[in-house]
Amino acid sequence: MPYIAFGKKSFMLKSAYRFDHFMGILNTIVRIFIFWVIYKALYGSRTEVEGITMTMVTTNFILSIGLEAVFYVHDFYLPDKIGNGSIATELLLPVSIKGRMIAENLGNAFFKLLYHFVPALIVSVIIMGIEPPASVSMLILFIVSALLGYGVLWTISFVVQMSAFWLINVWSIVTIKNVFVNVLSGSMIPLWFMPDWMSGIVEFSPFSSIYFTPVQIYLGQLSSGQIAYKCLIQLIWIVIIYMIGNLLWAKGKKKLVVQGG
Amino acid sequence: MISFENVDKFILANMCVHIPKGVTVGLIGATGSGKTTFIKLICGLLAPDKGNVYVMDHEPVSMLGKREAELGVLFAQLPSLQTEETVVNNFHSLKLIYRLKESFFEKSYKTLSERLGFGGFQYEKIGNLSMGQRRRAELGAALIHNPRLLLLDEPTIGLDMNGKEAIRALIKEREAKGLTNIVTSHDMSDISDVCSRICILDKGRICYYGRSDILFRKYAPVDVMQLTLQGGIPDIEDLPVKSYHIDGDKLKLIYNSNQITSAEILKVILSKASIKEVSIKKPNLADVIMKIERGIADEQFY
Repeated sequence: MPYIAFGKKSFMLKSAYRFDHFMGILNTIVRIFIFWVIYKALYGSRTEVEGITMTMVTTNFILSIGLEAVFYVHDFYLPDKIGNGSIATELLLPVSIKGRMIAENLGNAFFKLLYHFVPALIVSVIIMGIEPPASVSMLILFIVSALLGYGVLWTISFVVQMSAFWLINVWSIVTIKNVFVNVLSGSMIPLWFMPDWMSGIVEFSPFSSIYFTPVQIYLGQLSSGQIAYKCLIQLIWIVIIYMIGNLLWAKGKKKLVVQGG
Repeated sequence: MISFENVDKFILANMCVHIPKGVTVGLIGATGSGKTTFIKLICGLLAPDKGNVYVMDHEPVSMLGKREAELGVLFAQLPSLQTEETVVNNFHSLKLIYRLKESFFEKSYKTLSERLGFGGFQYEKIGNLSMGQRRRAELGAALIHNPRLLLLDEPTIGLDMNGKEAIRALIKEREAKGLTNIVTSHDMSDISDVCSRICILDKGRICYYGRSDILFRKYAPVDVMQLTLQGGIPDIEDLPVKSYHIDGDKLKLIYNSNQITSAEILKVILSKASIKEVSIKKPNLADVIMKIERGIADEQFY
């Protein structure tokens, strides 16, 4: 299987860009710090708002922004290939483009986990502090749910990338997707602070599955039944969105083969 | 090896052709004549609207992206290597993609990098290379796994003479080993040097498909012999030539090479006179293609 080698190669290539690497760590720390400062000012002298402590909010930002740094998805992987026509030559190669894309994305994500997330986590914990995981089992379930969250994010990106078969420029769609992910995943505004009607809707969207579900598990806010339900929801979203992406992929490929582009 | 049965696709209309294994076919035609469509149908990047295409007993669309397809393809306008990666990294990716054994890959890479001359810039990113350098690397990429079928669309664009010679030699060696090659080119010397068969496309239809020597015999069998003679012009009335012109001691003969050979003419003249100089001009491939495509009559052609 060449995919592991693709992942390794992607990891090694990423490590060649040292400046990018340090800027990535700095970017993650600065973003966490900015949100921490804003929410600290909003909290003022209060220790909690509607049962949510400042430490819980800080933990949400550290984990969700940290995971955001790890969850590497190259939104222009396929659009670039479709745009310059190299998709045709790639289709001829005896390797799955999707498999290669996942492997390369995971290689990057693993690099970012080790060299962005871990240093940023250490610095953030020292400066801002973080809630410890509710238990060891919750920490393990947090990791499982985070992996599923990455799956949801990857499949959303996969669907968005498919639009390149029909649109010349997908930049705007990718931007809209990123806005939805940032706002509705809880990485900018924790879902606790959204109005009930809105959080109710968001909870049923795939976006809350990306970062907020793992954070809730880490903080021990969910019972075992709720964890199983939320992870199942994550899995269902992955399957549904991937099926949509695959359908579009098949249609896009057919368009390429029947119409020649 | 390759069969087209009444295929319609874009400009190609009712195309029927059979290409056997182990030949090199030169695909010739004006811009828009359907050469790239033909190549894309063979590799499965296009499906026919009507008719059937078979490559190695399979429909190419069903073999798209399968290792068993054993294809090497280079398109003139489509990038085949990752621009942000170095030449050597691209080849290492190809090694993984084609599941090549380390020893086979090392040997193949060494041979191709030396012969095509991309070893000198193997640590450069593809995006930083000149067109000719990139083309050398891309040709290497199409050949690295020694495919059974090689499809090259304008392979010599941007190449210098050394590069052209190298790829022509590689194609000839492949044919000698029984591997099949299909080459499109606007450079007629590419085709005439390496192709044992020629396929001429005109507005989506095949005007000629067959051996290159037969093409000359069929469409342009007339040669021109120029002689400078010593001791007067001999009597040549009995020679079956189309026409002759005398200018002082110079004699120009235009003759059908299917009816009489140059050797036979020279033998007759030598028996009657001494020859100081002799030159024989045969039409080149570009002349023949022009004659066919423009429908030029024999009288105007010569």
